[in-house]
Amino acid sequence: MKMEDMPLSGPDNTRLEALAHDIYSELVEDACLGLCFEVHRAVKQGYFFLDETDQESMKEFEIVDQPGVDIFGQVYNQWKNKECECPNCKRLIAASRFAPHLEKCLGMGRNSSRIANRRLASSNNMSKSESDQEDNDDLNDNDWSYGAEKKTKKRKSDKSQNSPRRSKSLKHKNGELGSGVGAESYKYNYNTGISYETLGPDEVRSLLTTQCGVISEHTKKMCTRSQRCPQHTDEQRRAVRLFLLGPSAPTLPDADAVETDSFDIPDAQPLMSRLQWEDSDISPTDSASSKASTNHSDSRKPKKKKKPSLPLNSGGGGSGSGSLAGGGGSSSQSNISISTKKKRPKLSAPPISSIYDDLA
Amino acid sequence: QVKSKIMSRESRMRATINQKLTEMGERERLKEILRARLTECGWKDQMKAHCKEVIKEKGLEHVTVDDLVVEITPKGRALVPDSVKKDLLHRIRGFLAQHAT
Repeated sequence: MKMEDMPLSGPDNTRLEALAHDIYSELVEDACLGLCFEVHRAVKQGYFFLDETDQESMKEFEIVDQPGVDIFGQVYNQWKNKECECPNCKRLIAASRFAPHLEKCLGMGRNSSRIANRRLASSNNMSKSESDQEDNDDLNDNDWSYGAEKKTKKRKSDKSQNSPRRSKSLKHKNGELGSGVGAESYKYNYNTGISYETLGPDEVRSLLTTQCGVISEHTKKMCTRSQRCPQHTDEQRRAVRLFLLGPSAPTLPDADAVETDSFDIPDAQPLMSRLQWEDSDISPTDSASSKASTNHSDSRKPKKKKKPSLPLNSGGGGSGSGSLAGGGGSSSQSNISISTKKKRPKLSAPPISSIYDDLA
Repeated sequence: QVKSKIMSRESRMRATINQKLTEMGERERLKEILRARLTECGWKDQMKAHCKEVIKEKGLEHVTVDDLVVEITPKGRALVPDSVKKDLLHRIRGFLAQHAT
């Protein structure tokens, strides 16, 4: 930045140089005097020694310089890996998950009452759904179809209802999805089940291709959640199909099988976009394959990510995989969902082939 | 006689320069720069520590400004780091080059 600093040379310049030094000395002396006055004033005003305490305190708060410890001597992630035993359910919970778990477990906290209310509401209002099953085929045309909104919005609410985490992931993609749909589901959709006795065989079949369909013990109603709903196992779904449709039951859409074309195309849109958040590059391919004929081999190809089920029929698979991705939620549900999620990739090949063998 | 003329000429020149330094605000600027530099390089803290010793020696109640000045100034002058000194001199020379006749 500066060029080499040479003193001024020449006879005149020696004088200038001497002058420069004199000016410099004057400035330094000024600085020293300034300091003296400052210190003297501090002494006389009594604040000169304020920054010092007694020796013991000084030792106590000395800066720590050890590895693995911060300057106060605290360990950074001391309780990162510890588990705590929940006083309520006696389970061992990870430390970072302990507070949310307690919230749910004890039934206190903002979200737990909401969940409980929703569950009560949905179990109380299952009777409303019966009359609307005939509308299945009209779902495309009729925006105001009670059944359509029920079905899809029920799934959306399933996905977003249980834990704050789930709805957050949704909200990133689809602004209105989590909260808006949750509210809507309260209004339109109170049923979780449909009574199979009132349905004709065609209706039953189409229902079973899109929904879980497992018949609940208490209510004798079919579950209208997705094919991968965490409350029921695949075994149950298979059993129900056998029961309702006989041995020639059509495919139980399992891991990555794609069955019929999606007939709920408008309803599938938001769910497809939700899928995109999880399987971004996969869903377009899937929609193409699912719109083609029942061709499970096609659907198996784009299985790049760990999400095995990619059927985009009426968003059934979408919400299913979505709810699995949510995690959290009630413990039993999450356990089941996680375990099924893990099983599926491995089991995908064998069960599908066996199911299709039934057809042939 | 010649010498005294030259001397007075020189002293006049000095007086002029000094006047200019002050009037143009350059002196103040240089003072600030110096103070900042001295604080940055730790000179001030060093001097303060020395002050503490002096005070403890002389006693808190009885220490005077002169005590401090006498103790601090020579040491202070000596302890100015070379880089700071060079910087200041450079600036002063620059000023002289511009404003000396």
